[in-house]
Amino acid sequence: MNRHCKVLHLLVATILFCCVLYPAAAARKVRVGTYQNPPKVFTTEDGQPAGIFIDVINYVAEQEKWELEFVDGSWMDGLNRLENGEIELMPDVAYTADRARHFSFHTSPVISSWFQVYSRQGSGIKSLLDLDGKKVVVLEGSVQQASFEAMAQSFHLKITLVGVPDYQTVFQKVADKEADAAVTNQFFGNMNARKYGLEDTAIIFSPSSLHFATALGQNLYLLKKIDEHLQALKQDTKSLYYQSLKRWTSENVRFQIPQELRIIGMVVLGFLFLSLAGSLLLKQQVNTRTMELQQSYAELEQRVLDRTIELAVAMERAEAADKIKSAFLASMSHELRTPLNSIIGFTGILLQGLAGPLNSEQSKQLGMVQKSARHLLSLINDVLDISKIEAGQLELSLSAFDLRPSLEKVVMLLTPLAKEKCLELQLKIAENVGVVTSDQRRLEQIIINVVNNAVKFAEKGSVRLSCRIEDGNCLIEVADTGIGMKAESLETIFEPFRQIDSGLARKHEGTGLGLSICRKLLAMMHGSIRVESELGHGSTFYISFPVNKGVDNV
Amino acid sequence: MSKTLLIIEDNEQNFYMMRFLLENKGFKVVGAENGRLGVELALEHVPDAILLDIQLPEMDGYAVAAELKKHAKLDKVPIIAVTSYAMVGDREQILAAGANGYIEKPINPDTFVEEIAQFVARD
Repeated sequence: MNRHCKVLHLLVATILFCCVLYPAAAARKVRVGTYQNPPKVFTTEDGQPAGIFIDVINYVAEQEKWELEFVDGSWMDGLNRLENGEIELMPDVAYTADRARHFSFHTSPVISSWFQVYSRQGSGIKSLLDLDGKKVVVLEGSVQQASFEAMAQSFHLKITLVGVPDYQTVFQKVADKEADAAVTNQFFGNMNARKYGLEDTAIIFSPSSLHFATALGQNLYLLKKIDEHLQALKQDTKSLYYQSLKRWTSENVRFQIPQELRIIGMVVLGFLFLSLAGSLLLKQQVNTRTMELQQSYAELEQRVLDRTIELAVAMERAEAADKIKSAFLASMSHELRTPLNSIIGFTGILLQGLAGPLNSEQSKQLGMVQKSARHLLSLINDVLDISKIEAGQLELSLSAFDLRPSLEKVVMLLTPLAKEKCLELQLKIAENVGVVTSDQRRLEQIIINVVNNAVKFAEKGSVRLSCRIEDGNCLIEVADTGIGMKAESLETIFEPFRQIDSGLARKHEGTGLGLSICRKLLAMMHGSIRVESELGHGSTFYISFPVNKGVDNV
Repeated sequence: MSKTLLIIEDNEQNFYMMRFLLENKGFKVVGAENGRLGVELALEHVPDAILLDIQLPEMDGYAVAAELKKHAKLDKVPIIAVTSYAMVGDREQILAAGANGYIEKPINPDTFVEEIAQFVARD
């Protein structure tokens, strides 16, 4: 009783002292943030703020004659408002070094708490490692979000953290199976887990002390008052503080407060026991985890080793396959060319009349043999080209050369064919066309291919080849007055073995690979080829490639 | 004063065809069906030009070209690779081995003799 009186005296003295120092405080309005984190702070069904922190601040306000105004919102709203000066006090703020840079705290914590992971009943989540690859819901912007993340990272676990604005949603998401586990403080968890069909796991972390906070360096006297009252309240086991704890933590605090000293002893013992149990539990968990980790590291190491060997073998095989393919290409090319050399050679000898005169039918038929042999040769060449490009074995041989003679050469080469069909083959080279850096042979191959196609497919009129330089790109256009193409053919003609209009294919013989090769070659030159056409109205092919791109790449 | 050509070629039809074309234009042709014999005949006849296939039995064209270059008396004899190798670098490789020219198979029967004649006329 004696002690009781002392406390009372101290209280009265404090109050008097405060009144003298802060006469204006009598009418002071204090805005306090609230959010939903029962039983620490929350709003009751009839809209009243309630919880341990609310009890404490109500008590202090009553003593200090503060007029409280509660501003409800999410946790992040509360912290933002506090920083922006929209409220003076925010309850339930865990002290961290980081937060101490933004907020001021009083010294004696209102309560201490820790965080715990909860999961659906029967989910099998027991230790932290069970959370690997799982989705975990946390309160957005909370200290537990950061510390849980750090903990997960230190164990190299891949955990997807989902931040939500309040604890109800945290549990609801797990109950709705949108996530696997939830992180809340033990107050909220113990009180609400069963309601959501959740149970606690052995994953406990980050013990924290919870305070009221103000914006950094602001309203420090509020904190000072809270500290004073709290210290007094904690001294008295019958005080509102302990009543509040008892009221709100139905499972944790069951003291019936018979004799104050015994209670203090019990509380101290309780805390000691809790911390002992906690540390034992943690130690055990750390041991378990360490073992599990060691095991999984060993497994991982073995797996990495296995994979490395597998990879090396696969690489070797791929390289071997590549070499086989190259060798195959080279020898196929050789094997096919050798007999073809004889066929073309002897046909030429006979057609030239070197082995004796031929009658007209013999000449005609040998002409057909020659044509077929040449077709076969172009097929072999094209297939070889495509294979080389696809195997990445075709290398461009870049050099700087004057484009004009190349274009003139193409026209000269194809003029006889055009004349045969009574077509006009026109060449127009802009004045700015000169030296380009590219693969001369391949570029000529491309232009010959496109112009040759134009001559083949034009029945009358003309084929116009034009060239100009624009913005560092060489633009070559080949326009014909030929049969043209349907819109749907415009893209497919660049695919291998896609000659359009099978009705005409016999008449316009080709390998069906030419344009496909042109497109692949131009892609290697960082250029492009496209076509515009209308059925019956001719086609125009547009070839474009950078004049100097080759130089950058060498 | 007909010029003598040595053709080192293992394919019988190819050899016959080239010989026919060249003899038709007045060349004298000596043939060797493998690399080793080619080197022997080159040293024996010292032809005006050597037509050399690459894929040959006993000694391939690269080795033949390298061997021929060792002999001073063959210094001025042009070596023309006539080959169906068409892979990247084939041309460069055979030229590096000592060949003076490169004609890809299949040959063009209309222009083949002329191409060879250019090499022979060079001295």
